[in-house]
Amino acid sequence: MNWNLIGELIRLRYKLMWAKARLRSGKIALFAIGYLLFIMVIALLAAGGFGAGVVAIQAGKAEKVCQIVLSALFVNAVFASLLLGFGMSAAFSEAELRRYPVYARERFVARHFLGIVDPFWLFMLALELGLVLGLYGYGSYSLWDGVAAVLLLLACSYLLTRLLGEWIDRLMATGSGYTVVVVGIMCLSLAPATAMAVFNKHRDLIPKAMAVLRFSPPFGAATAMTHNGLEMFYGFAMLASWTLAFAVLLAILERRPVGQPQVAREPGSLWDSRFDRVAALFGPAMAPMVGHWLRFYLRNRRFRILYGFSLPLAAFLTNNTGRMGRGEDNLFLGALGSMGVVAFIGTSRIAVNQYGYVGGAFRRFFLLPTDPGASLRAGSYAAVFLSALWIPPAAILWAIFAPRPLDPRMIFMPVMNAVTAMFLFHGLGLWTSLYAPRRGNYDKSLGNDMSLIGNIALIGMVLGCMFLPRVLDATAPWTVDPENWWLTLAPAATAIVFYIASLRGATARFPARRERLLAVVEGRA
Amino acid sequence: MTFETDAIRITNLEKRYGATVAVADLSLVVPKGSMFGFLGPNGSGKSTTIGCLTGLLDPTAGSIEILGEKFTAESAPLKRRMGVMPETLGLFDPLYAHEFLGFVARMFGLDEADTRRRVTDLLAALDLTDTRKTLAEYSTGMRKRVAFAAAVIHSPDVLFLDEPFESIDPAGVAAMKQWLRRFTEQGRTVFITSHVLETVERLCDRVAIITKPGKLVWQGDITVLANDGKLEYEGRGFNSLEALFLHLTGERYSDLNWL
Ligand SMILES: Nc1ncnc2c1ncn2[C@@H]1O[C@H](COP(=O)(O)OP(=O)(O)OP(=O)(O)O)[C@@H](O)[C@H]1O
Ligand SMILES: [Mg+2]
Repeated sequence: MNWNLIGELIRLRYKLMWAKARLRSGKIALFAIGYLLFIMVIALLAAGGFGAGVVAIQAGKAEKVCQIVLSALFVNAVFASLLLGFGMSAAFSEAELRRYPVYARERFVARHFLGIVDPFWLFMLALELGLVLGLYGYGSYSLWDGVAAVLLLLACSYLLTRLLGEWIDRLMATGSGYTVVVVGIMCLSLAPATAMAVFNKHRDLIPKAMAVLRFSPPFGAATAMTHNGLEMFYGFAMLASWTLAFAVLLAILERRPVGQPQVAREPGSLWDSRFDRVAALFGPAMAPMVGHWLRFYLRNRRFRILYGFSLPLAAFLTNNTGRMGRGEDNLFLGALGSMGVVAFIGTSRIAVNQYGYVGGAFRRFFLLPTDPGASLRAGSYAAVFLSALWIPPAAILWAIFAPRPLDPRMIFMPVMNAVTAMFLFHGLGLWTSLYAPRRGNYDKSLGNDMSLIGNIALIGMVLGCMFLPRVLDATAPWTVDPENWWLTLAPAATAIVFYIASLRGATARFPARRERLLAVVEGRA
Repeated sequence: MTFETDAIRITNLEKRYGATVAVADLSLVVPKGSMFGFLGPNGSGKSTTIGCLTGLLDPTAGSIEILGEKFTAESAPLKRRMGVMPETLGLFDPLYAHEFLGFVARMFGLDEADTRRRVTDLLAALDLTDTRKTLAEYSTGMRKRVAFAAAVIHSPDVLFLDEPFESIDPAGVAAMKQWLRRFTEQGRTVFITSHVLETVERLCDRVAIITKPGKLVWQGDITVLANDGKLEYEGRGFNSLEALFLHLTGERYSDLNWL
């Protein structure tokens, strides 16, 4: 192992990170992330789990506490990373590292060592270390055993995440991979609720499940932290074997190349394109540009995952937010919001960052004999069009599952909310595309490569859709009463006006933003 | 050939990137119908000038006229008469070559029949008949050929080519030179940057040489070289473009004795 070179690479990575942090936008992002972490820690402490944990540790139930906390952190880390893309950014790609005189083994170590010192994983480590300190302070368990176990567990969760990520990337490049991934995500997101229901019915299954879980990495870590002698050794051995197994599998998987992204060859002749036929709806002036953006969206693997996933997600959200409180109409409250999510989640990634994935081709838009803002508008039209396509199926789906007797007003209101959310989000997307762009990788199916503001816009819209109906129901129930169905018309009309104004405003400001955007999308800023 | 109007007229052009001056007070006239070579060392501001001339960058100061009209980034009708091959090519990687060229052709207002005919012609002429590869999967030279095709597909009146010959194979360069000659014979104008001085010497009729930061140091007719004439600068004669270029730009390399 050439540790000198690996050390050099690590230093370079932090230099690059530091160079980013010196920019104004980098500083804002750092500040916001620090703030969010601070809030999360406060929330954790305030949640009461802390006090309960202390009591449990003092009562000798430390192992149980560790099992619960570590499992929760483990599962959350893997999911947050895979679904939201935190901590997935590769500082250096394999191709970049190949420029240096290092062996494959060294590249593997360098890449993953750099991967694990990502702020996200350091944050996870800090949470887990908090548990270790608690055990040490309130329970007189060994500090060093705890630290060692937590470090191994972190490596384990990191490697598992990478393994899953690499596997999904390879799967997505195959013909049926897309369907498998969407179905897989659906099953996984329904799993906790299903498991709860099953365990509630069959209590006798719980010990059996625990017996199986004893072999999982977080339980292994819990054993290692809270026992001595042979049992501690057993816990460490299990953790180490998992880590090693994941590392070996990852190394094997990485050696298999990712297939070429499947770009569906269009049927018919070279010239017969469904994109252009659909785009013709937008009139001769806009058609070529809209057709171009439709292609751009539909060939993107991540768009296709999210787009395909939007209906199941809406069903899941309706069900989950619908059952959050008490009351009769709760599914309806869920539908009021989740129908909105359907209307933007699919296009969200590109819509908040329209030029982030075009790379050097961004220049091309300025060489075309149109006003430069035409590309911005056309991209937005394509996104709105694609989003709008999902609203009717979502409405039909909701009509099937809505409470009987069917009240048409209870269909109309969610549909109007979908219109509101669609225009509001895509209006916001025009602005974030201009003022908060970020260079991303078009071909990646995983990871979060939106800017901070882009993330805030997207996550804010999703949370708004989930909780606003609830809040309104609690504070002003008449606003979500089907009797007042016409009330949903006002926000929809406002959103349309906002969208049109945004089209105008953003187009007008586009030329002034051109050079800044160019620098960002070509990777110079 | 008529030189009655100018194809490009640059007056006191200046472009800064923050504190960096990339082009300082550049004035230049390119006659209609000429094959104009725009030369200078790396980082002297050639691509920046082309960026300003094609609407990609906003000049910090100065004005630009193209085909007798004032040009800004918003001049859509003028852009319809201009073809550009940018330094970084500007290709949409996920597309196939015919899709990309079709998109550009339609954007420049070609009708469907013309679009298809010209795309097919260009792909055949440039030897880009492999339709199963996206632009991302093309080689460097193939990508350059596609960018060249996109620049000429609407038969523009003024053509801007930023390093068109670099990384294209000899047969491709020969073909391109021939098309460009025919292009200027019809009274249309080509504005080329290149570092391959032999090619420029044989192809171009006029040349401008700039040095950092975007300062014009020499311009003139270089067709005299073909008749064993000399290029004049401060009373000295140079019998090749390379000799003049090296003299003007003062390119001197220190000896790397460990290499
Ligand atoms: N986006 C940018 N931001 C800051 N400075 C820039 C930017 N683009 C170019 N420059 C600077 O402007 C100057 C001119 O660059 P330009 O790309 O025009 O040179 P060039 O003559 O085309 O060089 P080459 O022969 O290498 O292509 C250089 O000093 C360069 O560093
Ligand atoms: Mg250049």
